[in-house]
Amino acid sequence: MATSFKVELRRGMVVTGKWKHGRYKVERLLGEGANGKVYLVQRDRNWYALKVGFDAIDLQSEINVLQSLAKQKKQGQEPFLFDVDDLYGPDGREYPFYIMRYVLGSRLVVYLKQHGEEWFPLVGLNLLNKLSKLHEAGWVFGDLKVENVLVADYGHVELVDYGGVTASGKSVRQFTEMYDRGYWNCGSRSADPGYDLFSFGVLCLQLHEAKRLHQLTAELLPQNRSAAELIEIAEASAALRPIAGWLRKAFAGQFHDAGDAAAAWRHLMHRRDTHRPSATPVWLKGLAAGSAILLATSVYWLLRNVL
Amino acid sequence: MKQILLITDGCSNVGLSPVVAAAHASSEGISVNVVGVLDHGDVGELGATEIDEIARAGGGLSRLVNMRQLSQTVQMMTRKTVVQTIQLAVQKELKQVLGNGAIEALPPDKRGEVVRVIDELGETSGLQVALLIDASASMKPKLAAVEEAIRDLMLSLQARQGKSEISVFHFPGSRNGGDCVMDLSWTSHLNGVQAIFPKLQMGGTTPTGPAIMHVIDFYRQGDYGRQSRDETDGMMSGYVV
Repeated sequence: MATSFKVELRRGMVVTGKWKHGRYKVERLLGEGANGKVYLVQRDRNWYALKVGFDAIDLQSEINVLQSLAKQKKQGQEPFLFDVDDLYGPDGREYPFYIMRYVLGSRLVVYLKQHGEEWFPLVGLNLLNKLSKLHEAGWVFGDLKVENVLVADYGHVELVDYGGVTASGKSVRQFTEMYDRGYWNCGSRSADPGYDLFSFGVLCLQLHEAKRLHQLTAELLPQNRSAAELIEIAEASAALRPIAGWLRKAFAGQFHDAGDAAAAWRHLMHRRDTHRPSATPVWLKGLAAGSAILLATSVYWLLRNVL
Repeated sequence: MKQILLITDGCSNVGLSPVVAAAHASSEGISVNVVGVLDHGDVGELGATEIDEIARAGGGLSRLVNMRQLSQTVQMMTRKTVVQTIQLAVQKELKQVLGNGAIEALPPDKRGEVVRVIDELGETSGLQVALLIDASASMKPKLAAVEEAIRDLMLSLQARQGKSEISVFHFPGSRNGGDCVMDLSWTSHLNGVQAIFPKLQMGGTTPTGPAIMHVIDFYRQGDYGRQSRDETDGMMSGYVV
């Protein structure tokens, strides 16, 4: 019977693959997903991320997705998956693992806190483009949430934890209730582009109105969860009001695909009022008014002298 | 694939041992999963042990959760058990390749192929889940959460490519008789079902074992359950053993 145990690797430990004998030195824990843990490791002076799974079948099914994705990648793109093997944990049991590219980046929430809210529209767009590429290849991310988005320099976005990635048309393999379309009575749990876009909408709410969103999940009766409740939060929020129309479409599943959604998002970004602070600062307005008056006065004097 | 999902909050106290009943289910090819619902305290050591043993005997999984986690747990367990059932079947088929080892004994390259088959079958095979709900007095305040979990499970199953059906039973039956009552016969949607548990009369006993046997019978009789739903009125909706 497949029983899962939680493996724990310690700093400085050297992990050796059972089949291919790759040796990796463990540096630190990077994160923990639903079906495994991710560590930063070193091999031949290169940094990698190692994901060790709690269950061989479960992890292999994630590896299968990554391998199909790797096959679809265009040439010239950086490889993503480097090694797949088993290791012996400190408890003597065998655990499956895979080695992937280490992405240097911060968690979405941390990035926006450090670099400022003004990065949000661009990061959002990059994320939508990322999803769009995945959708074009026939996949849906599934478990989109703030924890699964890393942001590198200049708003560059990476998705992490591919445990939820599902072939289009099948049932979503892994999801988080609060981001789930079905949880909000807004549609099925079948993998389609709209599923990810719905989660993206909740992610926007989570970034700006986390407290109110959590309050809603705690207070609402299951049958009363709805897109209208989510939109109400967006419209009451200064940060989200400019994208409320976009969110309405995302929650209603009205975007044709992520490309369509990204285009609408881009359109919003280049509208003046989306960026906050939107209005011209008061001192600038004053200055403009002042110079206009000055101009009028000088023109008046000029004309008066000439005539 | 056939599953029984038992949702309870304590120990059985009447009739056949639920562990024996679960072993019966397993021998009929039905996996038994058990969710123990905690409120503030816990189900007690005895309850926890029983829950664990029922699942072991029934070849399924067991979890102790609070009400807020119920929906997610039920959904996740059902999914895991599907994979596990298929994994065991595939393992049997591959016995010549694997010897007595599990799929884990294959090198990762070959494992990939096998897991692809498991995933595909898990998504497309027919699935029946009979939900068996402990409706003893202490469960009363939890039934709303249970009903939500059932609706949530239906939603997840509807997303599968294979045919998925659920049925719902509760135990004990009414005051003077019956270990188990059927609330809902095999169905693949809950559209139009207003309340799964209308006006339950909470009984005092917890005949978990006999109730499991009742559901095994229901599985055995197959189509009979389907017919009885059309032919009976509300009173009889749940034939009594």
